[in-house]
Parts: sequence; structure tokens; C-alpha cells
Amino acid sequence: MAILTIQKATPREEEDVEMVYSDADSDAEEQMVMSDDENEDMDDNAQAANVAAGLVTPGKLITEDPIWMRGHGTYSVGNKTFSSTAGVVTKTNKLLSVVPLRGRYQPQIGDHVVGRIVDVGVKRWRVDIGAKQLAVLQLGSVNLPGGILRRKQESDELQMRGFLKEGDLINTEVQSLYQDGSAALHTRSLRYGKLRNGVLITVPSALIVRAKSHVHQLPGGVDTVVGVNGWIWLCMAWANSHLTRENTTSITRLEEEASLTETYSDKNEDIPRSVRENIARYANCFKALAANEVGITEDRVIAAYEASLVYPSAGDLIDKEAKEIIAAKAIAA
Amino acid sequence: MISINDRKFLTEALKVSKRLDGRSMEEQRPMEVTFGSQFGHVELTMGKTKVVVRISAEITKPNERRPFEGIFVVHTDIGSMASPIFENNHQSEQEIMISQVVEKAVRRSGALDLESLCIVAGKKCWEIRADVHYLDFDGGLVDATCAAVMAGLYHFKKPDVDVDGGAVTVCDMEERHPVALSVLHLPVSVTYGLFELKNDETNEVEKVECVLDCTAIERQVQNAEITITINKNRDICQISKPSGVSIEGYRIVELCEKAFQEALKVTEMIDKALKEDEEMRNKGNWKALLSAENDRYEK
Amino acid sequence: MFVWELSDTSANCDSFWIRRGRLGSDTGTLDQTHRALLPSYSSPLTQSRHEIYSPEGLRTDGRRWNEIRNFDCKINTHPTSADGSSYVEWGHTKVVCTVDGPREPDNRQNTTDRAVISVNVNVASFSTETRIKRQRNDKRLAEMNILIRQLLEEAVLTKLNPRTQIAVNITVIAQDGGLLPACINAACLAMIDAGVPLTDYVSACSSGVYSNNALIDLNTLEEQDVPFLTIGVIGKSDKISMLTLETQLPMASLEPVLATSLSGAHAIQDIMDAAVRKHGKHRLERK
Repeated sequence: MAILTIQKATPREEEDVEMVYSDADSDAEEQMVMSDDENEDMDDNAQAANVAAGLVTPGKLITEDPIWMRGHGTYSVGNKTFSSTAGVVTKTNKLLSVVPLRGRYQPQIGDHVVGRIVDVGVKRWRVDIGAKQLAVLQLGSVNLPGGILRRKQESDELQMRGFLKEGDLINTEVQSLYQDGSAALHTRSLRYGKLRNGVLITVPSALIVRAKSHVHQLPGGVDTVVGVNGWIWLCMAWANSHLTRENTTSITRLEEEASLTETYSDKNEDIPRSVRENIARYANCFKALAANEVGITEDRVIAAYEASLVYPSAGDLIDKEAKEIIAAKAIAA
Repeated sequence: MISINDRKFLTEALKVSKRLDGRSMEEQRPMEVTFGSQFGHVELTMGKTKVVVRISAEITKPNERRPFEGIFVVHTDIGSMASPIFENNHQSEQEIMISQVVEKAVRRSGALDLESLCIVAGKKCWEIRADVHYLDFDGGLVDATCAAVMAGLYHFKKPDVDVDGGAVTVCDMEERHPVALSVLHLPVSVTYGLFELKNDETNEVEKVECVLDCTAIERQVQNAEITITINKNRDICQISKPSGVSIEGYRIVELCEKAFQEALKVTEMIDKALKEDEEMRNKGNWKALLSAENDRYEK
Repeated sequence: MFVWELSDTSANCDSFWIRRGRLGSDTGTLDQTHRALLPSYSSPLTQSRHEIYSPEGLRTDGRRWNEIRNFDCKINTHPTSADGSSYVEWGHTKVVCTVDGPREPDNRQNTTDRAVISVNVNVASFSTETRIKRQRNDKRLAEMNILIRQLLEEAVLTKLNPRTQIAVNITVIAQDGGLLPACINAACLAMIDAGVPLTDYVSACSSGVYSNNALIDLNTLEEQDVPFLTIGVIGKSDKISMLTLETQLPMASLEPVLATSLSGAHAIQDIMDAAVRKHGKHRLERK
């Protein structure tokens, strides 16, 4: 097989997809193909949009053209590039990669994530963020009471467990990546820190649609942090909540002190029954979206919530049909 | 562990069909069998690999599900005496694989006629036990064990028994001639190491070389291993190729043919050793004198 | 209908046909495949009445020599409890596999340059006809774990996930022959579902020989009576990665048996690919 053709942009894109699937049992020759004369001049974006429709499985030949750089999800033998995962071929400029359908969360710098402390070590915490390895939160990358920029002292080292202990959930950001792909986190912003007053729901990270902000104030007095890693925190909305507050400098030092001590507090506040019910309802909405593999965005969550109001109790949403109806409404939104 | 230089040297040598100990690709180290003074005591050396097998027999109750059969067990405990890569009292993966292959090659291939070990059906039977001790390790454990156990089974003689109704009397070896075991065939294990030979420049695999009877050093470099157990009747008793480098089906068939030739040699070697031992034990033809079949009336 | 050509060395047929399982029911051979669904009575007392391979060319469960049993597989069966999961139903053999990882390793030794795979096969005590209590350290199971692990290590691009562990858990729910191949196929599917990078599909199939006839994909009854081997292959290559033969087999039969099981393993890959694609399509539609 000398030539490979990328499916051309055709109005009947759906049918092309069909063709690729129905070829499941035929030889390697009938998979997604691309012709070399075209990939040079074609608009990369248009190309990328096309290729994205092609589903490949491990061991499938993607291209024989050495012009492409091989990205994630591919491997090469000689000039040939093969897929190593089941996923969708995507292209950025000359980089070919296969985005897997499923898989653990792969941290990227700047990702807003929710994590759980699993280990308190020397000058650092180890945090489970649902990635392939545990992430590291250095003592130096957290804000401690007594001023943001103050030096970390030995006494801080000794009372690390007092700030964050095993099992605590934190709201954090990926600061950098190590060579092996594991993440270093930081909470050096008033938006980040320990989480309380709510519940955690985990969904596959692939379902989270990246957005400008991952903190949403939802109707019904509920705030949510939708971690890019698929860990979602739902909690009572909070006047002047540190979650939604901008990282401002206008707060006085006193206020800052107060908020920082509050940041490491373990005490849940009193949550009114109605808010509890709403949190439960949202939790089940997220589960409904995840069960039906619907990508999660703020609009969809709100749509799902509104659709769920038909059911008097949040517990009714556990029903499989109810989940499907809610998911369908969310997609329509 | 083997250094990168040694590893490189070994593979480069293999590319020009040379091995560290000067053997050819398909040359097995000669096996040498010596028998002890007691029946079923075998010492086998193959290069630096040294194995001692002791066969023993005991009367026990047969397995409930198999009342007409005796019991045959092979104990292969590889201790750190053989090589520091093996730990005492702890089974490594390598050990599990070796003992499983030996088990399949010697026991499950039906080399020993288990029904002949039955004394009283469902009540009493012989349990034949082969204890394998590894004194030194330089590769080829399966091949050596297999040959040694089989030689031991041929060599071993169990005391004769008298069955009178339900009562079983074991006769003294001095009083009555001990009986040999009924061994049905002689499975021989042959192990090939598979080496991926790569082109220096392109780093692509040029060919996969099959090397017979790898030493401990070669084993560390090999990319896969295939153990074929075969007897002189061209029956393959067992093949075990855990993963590692892949190999075409026809090459496996070729290897079986080659293994068969090796099996013939090993069979011949064991036969010869047994015969020599027999002659030595029979000095002065005392055996004929002692035999109950000695026909004294003809004189 | 799909045809796999075999080399001329094949003992008993010019061309090689494998009837596909339920996934291929659109090919219009339903009546044939469903015959393979009939239970095979494997009571030891009635064994002698069964003909392993009748003069008409039918096996105990009504298959022909070259028919694999109904191979039904699903992926992503346990989406919330594991990273990857699969369920394989091969004739009456039923296997569930979950893959956890790549994740933080239990033991950080030997993980500096690659992912470590650990395999644990768990055989339910109700999986056989007579309830057998497993010994604590069953060497056969230990061997099976090693075989599966080594085969997966060959196919998985372990270098891409250093300092991680991939734990494969296989639970055998029902056994009717072909246990090792079913476990391998299930493990491959679960690996793909977990998004672990693989060079290609890994599949396995068994095949035996009965008086000069190669029989593909044996059930328990046949496994008890017929010498057979199991092979594992990576991708649609004719190179064999794993091979185990535990029963005495005449040397002349080796080649046809190898060829048959190879074709079976390749056919299984197509069925698995279809299942993966079906699932992928379902997911993409909702993105």
C-alpha cells in the first residue's frame, strides 16, 4: 500500500465516518487514508477537522508519509506511523497525534484540578489528581497564614499536617510538569486551597470540556469547581467565597489573614436543607451526564439541572431513563 | 548482571556465528551422567551446570479421583546454591516457569506408567518422588533436569511387594530382586535462546537467531526462549515459549526437527550410561546367579 | 463470510473458513453460528458416547473443524470502577477483565524507565462443573499470570509511562475450554479501553488435532481428549509470540495446528476491533 488518503472535506462527513466504522473487519488497507499530493497545500485546520472524524485502533497504519511528526498515541516503524491507542486522529500543523477515547488524565501546565492529599512528606505533599502518577505539592507552593510572601520556616515544615493532612481535598493548579509526566501543583492564589462544605464527584477526565473558567456559580445556591482531571467539587455558595473571588490585591491584610486561616479550616458550616438537596441534585446531574458520556460544560450542567427539576426528589435521578432524558436535554442545550 | 560491553560483544559475536565458549549455534554442551551406588541416584553435568537427582519410592494411599494410579511428584527447589539469582525459600517467576516446564515435560507427558504403580486399587500405591538438587547453574536447567530425572527413573528400582488379600508385604532388597519402573518413553527437553540481531546503523532487526543451549551469560542477553520436549518417537511432549521476540510458525517446526535430532543424541547418551552402570553392577555375573529364573535343573 | 487463506501445508483443507460470532450475524450464517451455542455436555460418564469429530465433519457441539465458538466481547463494562474493563464470552467461557492504571506503582523499584504490568487471574470456584476449591498457591495459575504478563509487556509500549504500574485483574466466571486465550483477549480489550498504548492487538487462540484433523478453538470436552496448543500473537503477523503445548502431539501435526490457531487468533482480532470501534463510535457521537 503506497498511498494513504486523508478523507477529504466533503459535505457528507457523516457517511465517511460510517465507512470507516464498517470497515472494521477488512484489511488494513481500508482505513482512514490520505493522499500525499493534498496534505501539502490543504489548509491545516480544514484538514484537522476532517481527520478528527477518523477513529483508529491500535496497530492501524495512519500514514506512510515521513513528513509528519509523530505525537502522542502514535508510534513509528521506519517511515510508517501507526496508532497505539483507540482514538481520533488529530493534527496540529505537522504534528499527528491520536487522542485516546479514554485514559487517565494527563496533566498540563495551568490546568485547574481538584486533588486529594494521600501522603505528607518532607516539605511536600503528594496529591492524587487521578493522573498516572501522584502529583507533588511543595510546601513552598502554598499560601500559609501570615502573609503570602513570607518565608517558609522549619515550624511550618513541622506542622504541615496541620495545614493539609491525608484525605483532604484541595483545589489547585498544575504549576509545572516533571520529566516523567507527573505534575507539580501550586495553590498560590486565594482561589485555591482546601475544599469543604460540599461533595466530590468523579467523572472521566475526557468528558471535561476545557473552558476559560472552571469555577461556576450555579443556580440554587451551589458553587462548583469542575477540575480538568474530572474531579468535580460541589459546595454551598458562599458570600465572598474564596472559590469565586478574583485574585485581588484590594483585600486588606487583615481580611487576607482571616481568609487564609479559614482556608485551612476543617469545619463544615451549617448547610441549609434546600442547598443540600440542590447539591445532591447537581451531583446526580453530573452522574447522569457522565453515564451517558456527555461532555461537561457550564451550560449543559445548568440545562441538566433545569431538566431535573421535573423530578421532585434528587433521588429520582438515579433511574436510568431519567439519566438519559436529562443527558438528552443537556446535549440539546 | 551483565555489562553493556559484554552484552554488545556477545551479540556482535553472534552476528558472525560465534559464541563465547566456541560452540556453534546448534551445539549442545555434552551431558555426562554418573550414577550413585544406590538406585535412582543420578548426577548430571552439562558444562558448568550440575544437577543431582534422587528418586525414592514410598507406599501411600492413591488419589481418590484416580484409584488405579500411583503418584509421581517432581520436586524442583532451586536454591541460592545454584546461583545467587535464585533465592532460598522463595519462588521467583523464573523458578515457577522452570518447575512448570519440568512438570509438563516429565510428569504430564506420561513418561512414567502410573498404573503400574498401583498395588491395591484405591488403597495402596507407590509414590515415586524425584528430588532435584541444583548444585551449579550455567543455563540449561530444564534440559539438564529433564535428562537427569529420566535417567533416574530408568535407573531406579523399587522393592518388590507381596500382596496377599489386603495385606501388603514389602520384600527386602537383599531377599528379592527389586523391580525397575515401567517407563513408557524418554522425553528430552531442548532449549533454544532467541536473539534479535539488529543492524548497527538502522537499528532494525535483521534476523532472529536461534541458539541451542544458552549459558547463564547468554540467557541474560537472549530476547526469548523456547523449550521443546520431544521423544525419539517424534512425539512433542511439550513446547513452552513465553513471550519475548516473536518467531514464524515454520521456524518453530524447523526447531522441532532440530530438537528431535538432539533428543536422539541425549537418548543414546542415557542408554549408554545406563548400560555401563548395569555392566559395572553385574561384575562377576552375580545377577544371573541370584536370579530366581536361574534354571538350575538344566545343569 | 470471511476467508483466511492458509498455506498448502494445512492438513485438511484448501481454504480456511472461520464463521464469525454474533457480531458477524449480519453475514447471514446465523443458524450455523448458533449451533455453537448449544451446551456441550461434559459429564465424564457420558464422555465416551461423544464423538470428538464425526465422519460427517461435526464436532461435539456441532461445529466444523474450522469454526470458532461465538465470540462476544464488550469493552468499558465497568466504567466507574476501573480505567479499562472488558467482558469476553467465548462459547461458554466467560471472563471479566479490569485494568487499573497506569497508576502510581505499589513498589517503586524497577520502574524508572518503564511501566510495570502486574496480572492477577482469579478463577471463581463456581466456574467449573464441579466446584473445586483452589489451592492457595496454584502453580498453574501463577504460570498463567506470568504468560499473560509477558505477552502484554511485549505489546504495550511500556517505555511511554515510566514510574507507573498497570494492574490487570482477570476474573474467570465460567470455564469451557480456551481459558488462557480468553483471558489474553479480554486483557487486550481492557488495555485498549484504559487507553494504554499498544503496538497492536494481542490475541490468542487454541487449536488441537484429532486423527489428522486440525480442530480450532477447543471446548473443555475436546481439551480433555485431544492434544492442543495455545498461541498468542501481536497484530496480524504470522509471527508467534507465545506458544504453549502441554499434551503430547505428533510432530507432523504441529504445522497445521499452528496455522489453524494463528488464523483463529487473527479472526479474533477482527471481532475485537469491531467491538472497540462500535464503542468508539458511540462515544464520539456524544462528545
